[in-house]
This record gives sequence, structure tokens and C-alpha cells, in this order.
Amino acid sequence: MKQEPLLIMKDISKSFGAVQALMKVNLELYSGEVLALLGENGAGKSTLMNILSGGVPSYQGDIEISGERAHIHSPMDARQAGVAKIHQELQLVPELSVAENIYIGREPCTKLGFIDRRRMNLLAKQYLDLLDLHVEPDLPVKRLRIGEQQLVEIAKALSLHAKVLIMDEPTSALSRTETRTLFHIINKIAAEGVSIIYITHRMEEIFELTHRVTVLRDGAAIGTVHTASTNHDELVGMMAGRSITELYPSREAYIGREILRVEHLHFNPPPHTNKRKLQDISLHLHRGEVLGIAGLLGSGRSELFECIYGLHTNHSKARMYIDGVRVQMKKPRDAIRRGISFVTEDRKGQGLVLGRSIGENMSLPLLRAFSKMTFMLRKVEAGHWQEQMDSLKIKAPSYHEIVGHLSGGNQQKVILGRWLLVKPQILLLDEPTRGIDVGAKSEIYQVINKLAANGLGIIVISSDLPEVIGLSDRILTFCEGRLTGEFTQQEATQEKLLSAATRREEVNSRVESTDLHEFGFTGTRRDSNLE
Amino acid sequence: MNSDLQVQEETVIWNKSIRFLRRFQSLFGLLIIILAATILCTRDGENLFLSPANLANVVRSVSENGIMAIGLTLVILIGGIDLSVGAILGLAATGAADLMMHRSMGMFETILIVLAIGAALGMFNGVVSTKLRIQPFIVTLAAMSIARGVARYWSNGTGIPISYGQDAFLAPPAFSMLSSRIWGIPVPAICFIGLGILFTIMLKYTRFGRHVYAIGGNETAAHLSGISVIRIKIFIFALCGVLAAIAGLIHASQLSQGSPNDGIGYELNAIAAAAIGGTNLAGGKGTIIGTLIGALILGVLDNMLGLLNVNTNIQSIVKGLIIIAAVYLQKQK
Repeated sequence: MKQEPLLIMKDISKSFGAVQALMKVNLELYSGEVLALLGENGAGKSTLMNILSGGVPSYQGDIEISGERAHIHSPMDARQAGVAKIHQELQLVPELSVAENIYIGREPCTKLGFIDRRRMNLLAKQYLDLLDLHVEPDLPVKRLRIGEQQLVEIAKALSLHAKVLIMDEPTSALSRTETRTLFHIINKIAAEGVSIIYITHRMEEIFELTHRVTVLRDGAAIGTVHTASTNHDELVGMMAGRSITELYPSREAYIGREILRVEHLHFNPPPHTNKRKLQDISLHLHRGEVLGIAGLLGSGRSELFECIYGLHTNHSKARMYIDGVRVQMKKPRDAIRRGISFVTEDRKGQGLVLGRSIGENMSLPLLRAFSKMTFMLRKVEAGHWQEQMDSLKIKAPSYHEIVGHLSGGNQQKVILGRWLLVKPQILLLDEPTRGIDVGAKSEIYQVINKLAANGLGIIVISSDLPEVIGLSDRILTFCEGRLTGEFTQQEATQEKLLSAATRREEVNSRVESTDLHEFGFTGTRRDSNLE
Repeated sequence: MNSDLQVQEETVIWNKSIRFLRRFQSLFGLLIIILAATILCTRDGENLFLSPANLANVVRSVSENGIMAIGLTLVILIGGIDLSVGAILGLAATGAADLMMHRSMGMFETILIVLAIGAALGMFNGVVSTKLRIQPFIVTLAAMSIARGVARYWSNGTGIPISYGQDAFLAPPAFSMLSSRIWGIPVPAICFIGLGILFTIMLKYTRFGRHVYAIGGNETAAHLSGISVIRIKIFIFALCGVLAAIAGLIHASQLSQGSPNDGIGYELNAIAAAAIGGTNLAGGKGTIIGTLIGALILGVLDNMLGLLNVNTNIQSIVKGLIIIAAVYLQKQK
């Protein structure tokens, strides 16, 4: 690329109190380029991007866009400079229509000052068409799937004539198919001359999508490389400052006797919930075994865990056996008592009390055991807390630290610590590594392996296929509330899992089946870098 | 290099003292208001504010609001709100007066029945808001109307004066104890401080406290951890009702009457006390100590403005502005 960069960030520094978040970071972005911004949690990616999108009012350094000095100190400045950010948590108003969301705050008006809906819908439609999103502009956003909502955010950015689009882990809530669609769109808008800064933890996405990679570590830019001339190990090395030779440590699986058996599980979700119906699911799990469940988001994977955990007793029926004994779970307490621990997918929404300490969060299921005559036994608790802090290598000054101040990886370890404290027999892990950095991921994998070696039965849900394959002894695939396949670790490949996880009884949607042909099998070859 | 270090050290000390000030800012707020009252309220060289009689008066008047505010703090901590406490106070006062004066009840039966009424109304709030999933704001608004209605129906809409004596249709003199003093300290103040200490300990050191903060911080996480969220919520609403009823008993004893119009608007004062004390209305954050200080700030303020003979309407305006300023400062933490 010989042309002048579209965006130059020069010597950007920022400190929060005593913490130096960024130190003289330089970043260049060319027009029509997809640049990956890579780094562990806390490396400074978010701060850098917040500066660019106007979320940080004061910092040192210069920003130039199209050769002109850009003074970006507020979101409004950023918008005027042509920078738009697609947030990790989408910022749409669920009750408003697609078009209303795109034009929120700048609705086209008639002469009388009323909103000109017809014109607004027409304008919105142009952008939706450009993004191959075939929904009516007057449809409320809450009726769209999460992937579609993301496209609406992109449409909004395009309608603002954004030249630089920042995307912060856009695929973390997307299914495989939706990810394909998104990548297709990203390539398309990049071809139109929009430049994209793409933040992700997923290595395979970098190789699939981006032209160059800039790596940050501890607030400094370590370097920028062309994606075509680098590889997985080099990037991980740059990111961590060390090389993680084996992400998925191998282990001798010692499969013991059966610990959990679920027969003919049916689940009929009550109306007005976004839950998936489950049909006739039977599975079994042995001591010392890691059972992987692969399936798209919304395929009913989480509902399966919820049913096992006793959350839907009024709407589900099943025969369940633990250690060969027929059991019935009516509420979470029953499940906990029978040795089942459930680490939910959404750690902030369902897992943690963010405003309280690490210790208090760990004690939640054990308040009864840790108290006498309602008074908490602080010393007893603290001993257990310290034990988990040490064995899980939780990085925090002490167990009194507020959980909300920790990084994603450490938060996940706190939840894991909580559920290990109850000394479970069966561990249900729903997306245990979503949105956490490679270092923490690898540590969590080691913990899972160690627990399996100690004789626990573990079921892991993940939409990260290399992860499922790397971790599990046996893998079940899930599609639309049914089990569609079973593989041993040796048999399993990404292609096989993906096709089983998208095997439907009838073809529901033409679009999705063509998607599979177009993208499903071509993109995955790059993933072999991982193994 | 050396001066750099010195500068750094100075900023550290500066930061530390700022943090210290922030941490105890509501306490400092209280001190400032007390100081202002001490300086401003003097007449003929005599300090009106610091006179023992006046101070006792302040604590006494703070007590009712404070006791209700403790209950509200608990409810707000679990992400709820209770607008019915003022009405429950009125119902409790009316009920107590009627039971003793017209139904020849003894003191203990009266207190028990009144507390039971408070608990029942609180439980109503809890059950309806959790089981029928109606927002506490609406449920307790309805309960406010219901409690007022019951009180008016009960007493035919008039206040019932309480006079003491040994006759069947006179209140037992022991009931007046609630407005008397022990060792010079007004009994309501003792109740208020005692309950404050009790609930501070409960929140800090017991399972109950952990439940409250867990539910307020993340209800789903609490539920998944095997905590009986609904049962605890109902219990806390019931507790709030009982505390409002206690305030009602004190109110009746102090005024020597029970009227169905007692306690109108008191819920707002109680909410204000909790908010000034740093309780987050979204739930999960707040302490009883904070609420006690909040109640004291409001009480001293009222007293000061009264001593200064400020027009009551102006008092109301000043109070409103102070509430906003205090809560804004709390938010900066």
C-alpha cells in the first residue's frame, strides 16, 4: 500500500490515576483496510479505541484523519471526523423501529416539523440493502436477531458517512452463520472504501478477515504485521510476550463410571420467553469425562443446562439419574445439593454481583455452610477464598477486591472458584472462555483438565469449535433443540461438527443454506493454523 | 528526581485525604449542618440549638423517620421501593389508639396486633410484587391507598385522643413510656439507635445481609446460587411494614392520639434519608449507618430552619434543594 494513511494516531498516551493505560502508541489505518487490533485484556485496546471514538476527553498525542489534524474529545467530535464505533453491547433502542434507530436524533422532518416516516424508511432501506439485510425498516429492533441488530448498527454508522468503523468483538454473540454474513458485509464495505478497526480475541477471525494486525501489550504498541506473512504462534507470542506452545494441554483421560444420565428430556418454554424448545434429549456423562456440546447460539444449548439444573421444572420433563439413582430437581438448591455446579454463559448478567467483593461472590451458594446461627464465619470463609485465589491464580490484590474491577478472565475465574467451592460432582460450563484473553483461557483449560482428572464429570458448551475439539473427550452437536450428532475427539473435525450443528429437519431458510455453501467450508481451512 | 518523588508523595497524601473525605462525606455533611445550626441559632447569647432540650427534641423527631428509613433502606437494597410506610404509620397509630381506648386492650396485646398489621401489609406488598410480578412502586402505591382507607374506616375518619388511666377504656400508662425518657434519653431515640445497630450488624455479619446485597446486586445470580429470592424479598417487605408500625406506635404515644391522617408524606422523607445516606435506588448499594446519618441531616436541617423562624414554605424549598445536592455528592463517589 503506497497511499497515504487515512488515519494516523501519533504518540497517544493516557493515564488513569497511577495507571499508565497507553504509552506513546502509534497506529496507522489505510483506506479500505481491515486492521485487527489484538491484545490481552488490559493491554489498552479499549482505551485506544475510546480515545478515537471520543469517549475519553483528555489524552496526549495527535490524531490525523485524511491528512488533517482531528480534535476528538467527545463522541460528537468523533462523529464529525467520520469515526463510528460498534459497541460490544449493542446500543439500540429495542422498542423503536430499525429506521428510527438508524436516524435517532436526526430524523428527517416534514416542513411542519413532524417526522417524515416515509422518507426515513426509504433512506434506511438503502443502507439495509447495501448490507444485504432484508428486513422492513419499520420493524421494531427487538424482533431482530442479535446478528441483524448488529447490521443495523453498521447501517447507522454508514448513514453517518463514517470513514473509520471500530468494531469491538462483534462476533462474540453471533452464531457461525451470522459471523459469515458479518464477514461478508465487512469485506463489502471495506471494498467501498470504509476502513475498519477490528478488535477480537479470536485468532482465526484475524486470519480470515484482516489485512494487517497491530498488537498492543501493557499499553504499548508492540508492532504491526501483515496478516498474510504472520502466523498464529507469532501473534500469540507478540501479544503475551511469551509463547503459549500448547493452548489445549493434552491429558490422559481416565473415564470412570457413569455419573449423570438424562433420558427423554422435553422442554416446552412458556410463551413470551426467548427460550428454545427442546425435544427428546438423552445423554450420559462419566466421571473423568469432558463432554463437549457444539451448537449455534440459540440452538437450545443453554436451555439444556437450565433444565438439568432444575430451572424449568414446570415446563420440562425428563428422567434423570445421578450415580444411577433417579433424581428430580425442582430448584437450583436441589441441584447444588446433588453436586451439580452451573457456570452460566453471561457472567455479568447471571453470574456475578459486580458491586461486591471476590469473597462474597464465591460464598453465595455456601452461605448456609459458612455460617452458624445466621452469623457468617469469616475466618472459615476467608480460608476457602484464599485457596481458590491461589489455585486459580486470580489476579487481584486480595479477596476483598470488588469483582466489577477485575478483568473478564479474572471474573470468570471467580465464578469458577465459587462453583468449585461447593465441591461438585458434575460441572456444567456454558461458554466458559467467552471474551477472555488467551492467557486466562489457557489457565481455564488447565483447570478443566485437572478437574476431570480428579474424577468430575464436565459438560462444556462452546461456540468456539477448536475449543470444543481441543477440550472434549466426546462431542454432541445441537441444532434447534435436538441432538444431531455424537463424535469422539478423534473423529471430530470442524467441518463435521459444523455440518451436524446446522442439520435441520427441514430446510427452513434458503438464505442460510446458501450461506453455508458460500462461506461455511471455505473459511474454516485457515483454522488449521490452530492445531 | 528527588523533587519528583516529593511531588508524587504529596499527591498520594492528597489523594488519600480526598478518599477519606469522600468515604465519610455524609458524616462531614452532618457535621457541617450541625456546625451551621450551632453558629446560626443563637439568641441573646444563648445557644438555642445546643440546649439539651432542643437536642433531645431533634433526636426524638428524627426517630420516627429514621426507623421507617431503616425499613426502606432494606427494601431499596433489594431493588424495591415502599411507598406505603407513611400510611402504615397512620394505620398503626389509629389502630393503637382505638384498641386501647375503645376495645379495652392492654399494652402488649395492642403492640402485638399493631405490629402484626404492619407485617401483614408489608407481606402483602412482598407477595403481590413477587408472585404477581407487579412493580413494587405500583403495589405499594396501592397499599398506601388501602392502608389509609382501612385507617379512616376504622376510626370514622377522625383522630382518637389517648388518655391514660387504669380504667378499661383508658390507655395503660405504660404506653406513654414510648414518649418518655430513660436516663434523659428519649425512648424513641433509643429504639431508633437500637434498631440501627441491630440492622447494621445484620447486614454486615449475617447470612441475611449477604442475601440482601446479593439479591440487590444480581437477582439471577442469587437465584442460581440457591438463594430463595422470593422468600427473602417477602420477608424484607414484611420487615419494612413492621418498622413502619413501630414508628406508628411511637407517633401515637408522642402525640397522645392516633389519627388516620398521621404520617402523610412521611414515605418521601424516609426515601430521602436513605438516598442522602448513599443508598442507590437501583438496589445493591447502601448502608444503615448512611441512612441514620441521612435521617439526622434532614432532622437537624428541619430543626435549624424552625429555630431560625424560616417560613415553612421556604423550609420545604430549601430541603428539596439540599436533598438533590446531597444525592449528587453521593453519586460522585
